[in-house]
Amino acid sequence: MKKVIVACGSGVATSQTVASKVQKLLKEKGIYAQVDAVDIKSLNQYIKESSAYIAITQPKEKYPIPVINGIAFLTGVGMEGELQKVIDAVS
Amino acid sequence: MNLLENIFNYILDFGAPVFVPLIMILVGLIVRMKFREAFSAGLTLGLAFVGMNMVVGFMMNSISPAAQQFVTNTGIELTAIDAGWTPMATLSWAWPLAFFMFPIQITINLIMLMIKQTNTLNVDLWNVWGKIFTAVLVIGVSGSVSLAFIVASIQVIVELKLADVNKQQIERLTQIPGVTTTHGMTLFCVILWPFNKILDLIPGLNDRHIDVDWLKEKLGIFAENHVMGFIIGLLIGIFAQYNPQEILILGVQSAAALTLFPMVAKLFMQALAPLSDAVSEYMRRKFSGRDIYIGLDWPFLAGRNEIWVTTIVLIPLILGLAVLLPGNMILPFAGIINLSVAVPALIVTGGNLLRMILLCVLMTPVFLYIATFFAPTITNLAKDTGAIDVATGTFISWSSLELPVYRYIFAYATDVINGQMFGFIGAIVWIGLFVWYYKGMKKRNERFDQEEKKGQVA
Repeated sequence: MKKVIVACGSGVATSQTVASKVQKLLKEKGIYAQVDAVDIKSLNQYIKESSAYIAITQPKEKYPIPVINGIAFLTGVGMEGELQKVIDAVS
Repeated sequence: MNLLENIFNYILDFGAPVFVPLIMILVGLIVRMKFREAFSAGLTLGLAFVGMNMVVGFMMNSISPAAQQFVTNTGIELTAIDAGWTPMATLSWAWPLAFFMFPIQITINLIMLMIKQTNTLNVDLWNVWGKIFTAVLVIGVSGSVSLAFIVASIQVIVELKLADVNKQQIERLTQIPGVTTTHGMTLFCVILWPFNKILDLIPGLNDRHIDVDWLKEKLGIFAENHVMGFIIGLLIGIFAQYNPQEILILGVQSAAALTLFPMVAKLFMQALAPLSDAVSEYMRRKFSGRDIYIGLDWPFLAGRNEIWVTTIVLIPLILGLAVLLPGNMILPFAGIINLSVAVPALIVTGGNLLRMILLCVLMTPVFLYIATFFAPTITNLAKDTGAIDVATGTFISWSSLELPVYRYIFAYATDVINGQMFGFIGAIVWIGLFVWYYKGMKKRNERFDQEEKKGQVA
């Protein structure tokens, strides 16, 4: 199964909120992927094995996988577009 | 009436892992979740309590003997183990009245939006626990439930006011438009403000030449939970004068505890996500036409590496001060990454690393002392709610307790009903500082506006 990661400062609160939400939205569309919340401090450990990275922060580095704007899932603004990017990355 | 009370007490006697899921299922059904979903969420919440209790127990069993050994060898009493924020959230949710904080936060926010007292819509319903935690601390000090709700409500109002006035600074720091943070830790900005003003008098506090991203790259490994847990475990073992074998065992055990805490805490989030999702969607729809700021939890600021460099630089200082400060009882552990000071410092200084470090160094004793003050309160709460088992003679606390000054002063302010004036006077001073900060940030925002205007002309 393809894996998507969401990172925040503790890997607990914001990232899990977004992860739960994306997981639910994907499930509604019949897409199976694993969405995990991770600690931003350990991000580099997870990048390699994932298909997409949903960022809560403004990313500074370049990553080898697509980076998706996680704020959209919190504010609702532009969420559909960002969700499509996730779908493209995992299918 | 007696019967009702008996039923209520009977349910409470089950302990948090049973009665909180029952409340969760009930609340879920009230907001029209499907029974299957509500039940699943409730059960997840219950097992989160059980899991958290296991991890705290494991941590206490590993660290407490070393702390005792340290007392025997040196006479320095660091008997309050720092469990970090996750067990604090656990015992907050275990308060039987916890769920009432949802409607309180939402109602205050909606009313303030309607009467134009704020421009921020707080969709971060997870951090309702911060208000619950304030409330239970107030009850621990003065015993008054109604005053607990009042102090928590003031916190909701101040969070929104600060979110309004911090928005432009936060946008400059993150480059993310339209959002601000409503996290309670911003209340500490109010305390940092005068000290930052004093730093204005020192020339040369400009850090243009510091490459923060490079520093983060070099130091970042120390902030990873497992590595940091291992190192702190080793240090505690060395302080306790363990033999090398015991030191290494404690190191790995500590790494395990710090890695497991967030894993278990995620279960709380998973359980509460459907509920908070439904509520925040409802609130966004209600104000969809109006141009408002969306209030979020703090982590969208975590891209600013000044936060991580500051917290890592602070670690040795926190450990050193914990040993040296007379009267400190906190053994820093799971809460040693002090975001509760670094994030407000980032906002107040506008991302000036040198100032951030100076402010955070200055404030470290405040955090340690207030964590020491609250250790008996927090330990009693853990025992009363049955959420977390703590062995007799040991204490738990949180070395980087968020918004420590507000919680300390306002908890003691409610003691005015027991004839104590000290906290009440403190609360008036705190409100004065808040007004100073609010006006100061408004001025800063005007400056930002002018800069932007100039930028457009040029």
